[in-house]
Amino acid sequence: MKRLELNKLSKTYFDPYAGSQVTAIRDVSLAVQPGEFVSIVGPSGCGKTTILNMVAGFLPASGGEILVDGKPVSGPGADRGVVFQSFALFPWKTVLDNVAFGPKMRGIGKSERERIAREFLELAGLAHAADRYPNELSGGMQQRVGVVRALANHPDVLLMDEPFASVDAQTRMTLQEELTRIWQERRTTVLFITHDVAEAVFLANRVVVLSGGHVKTEIEVPLAHPRRWDALVENEEFKALTTRVLQQVRTA
Amino acid sequence: MNASTAWWARTVLGPWTRTANRWPALRSLLPFVPLIALWWAVAAAEFFPRAFFPGPPEVVRSFFSLMYKGILPAYLGDSVARLAVGAAVGIALGIPLGLLVGLSGRAYKALWPILLFFQAIGDIAWLPILLIWFGFGLTTMTFVIVYTVLFPIVLNTVLGVRSVPLEPHRAALSLGASPARVVWEVVLPGALPNIMTGLRNGLGYGWRALIAAEIIVGTSGIGFLMFDARRAGSVVEILLGMIVLGLLWYIVDAWILAPIERATGQRWGMVQRQ
Repeated sequence: MKRLELNKLSKTYFDPYAGSQVTAIRDVSLAVQPGEFVSIVGPSGCGKTTILNMVAGFLPASGGEILVDGKPVSGPGADRGVVFQSFALFPWKTVLDNVAFGPKMRGIGKSERERIAREFLELAGLAHAADRYPNELSGGMQQRVGVVRALANHPDVLLMDEPFASVDAQTRMTLQEELTRIWQERRTTVLFITHDVAEAVFLANRVVVLSGGHVKTEIEVPLAHPRRWDALVENEEFKALTTRVLQQVRTA
Repeated sequence: MNASTAWWARTVLGPWTRTANRWPALRSLLPFVPLIALWWAVAAAEFFPRAFFPGPPEVVRSFFSLMYKGILPAYLGDSVARLAVGAAVGIALGIPLGLLVGLSGRAYKALWPILLFFQAIGDIAWLPILLIWFGFGLTTMTFVIVYTVLFPIVLNTVLGVRSVPLEPHRAALSLGASPARVVWEVVLPGALPNIMTGLRNGLGYGWRALIAAEIIVGTSGIGFLMFDARRAGSVVEILLGMIVLGLLWYIVDAWILAPIERATGQRWGMVQRQ
């Protein structure tokens, strides 16, 4: 549970077709407090995935800095766990070995890392699938594995890039509810990227609306955790917040 | 269901299904039954002189006679050992080289054109110069097999490495894997289905190159057996050699390559099951 800070982050790249520099991200400053859940929401092309890729260390920043617990980020590292939209599981490893991968890289012995992996699979209700291969699971189950694989490595910050965009609507709601439950139990610092306004509000303590590569506005979400869809669909405060965020996104 | 189909089901289909379930290899032999029958019929009709176009009984007889004399087991052992050595060396060189060329942009730029160039100079095109350098011997033969096995493995490994998606790579890095661990844990297994394709092609080409090499430089082996039989005018032994070649490849495929493929790429959902 650590603090994540982006200071005047910017990303420009050279577009070989246009023959000019393009600004994807400019002057994004954002602080995610220890144990806070922040959603970044915005229309496609607003640069939200670029921000996540820079925080994860997959892309170098053109300017500014990224600090995790006060230390600058350079390249990918185990302090920042990533959950991918495409799940990015290792197809050649069983579910158990996928989840045990992070501990394995930290040099933890086989029996101990398998114990850790089983504990986290239990957390996601996947204990029965431990010995199966990812391709034998449904999309929703695969992404549960993706989430606990990142969590089992005890990252300081959890980065989630539209993780539920490619599962069906019912499963998505279940996964969102499970995520708020797991987050409440473990209080990880989370940066969550999505284009889905309701999802952003449902999950987060704070929603950041991104537009044209910069932060347009930030909206606090003071709803209690864990959250459940059947309680919130009719909740006036939730509806009002969603409407506010939606207006900001639509006028982005 | 009329009486004849009931009889057919009871006395032919039923026992056959039970037997074939117990020995699945029988199913792959079934397509050869009409082929052998045709061969037998043509030979028996004696359109050609029997010594010129022998039938299955002569070949089977020659098989037992050569087995009894110990010639066939010895030659078969020589050929298989040569292929195994060639394959082992080809794999040991080919996979690391493929990883290097696939992973490093600099190595790719430097080595890819050279690989393509030498790939084009096929196995037996090397024989004339090898015969001058190394003479009629094992060195020449080993060179030809390694050379033949090597290229399909290298080229397919490069292809496999380059087709590993970005995300698992990134996932491994953010789970704390070092670049070297990523090669072992992600790149190699991710490229494995392609490496298997390379191995399959390499062994197939290698097997053919070996026979060609044995015909030209050999003093033993199946290729030598066939060429030696030609000198003696023994069509039976030539046919036997040809059949052995086909059978042996079937065994390599069914007992070695296919089980590995079933346990890896197909199991992982990376390759479609047939």
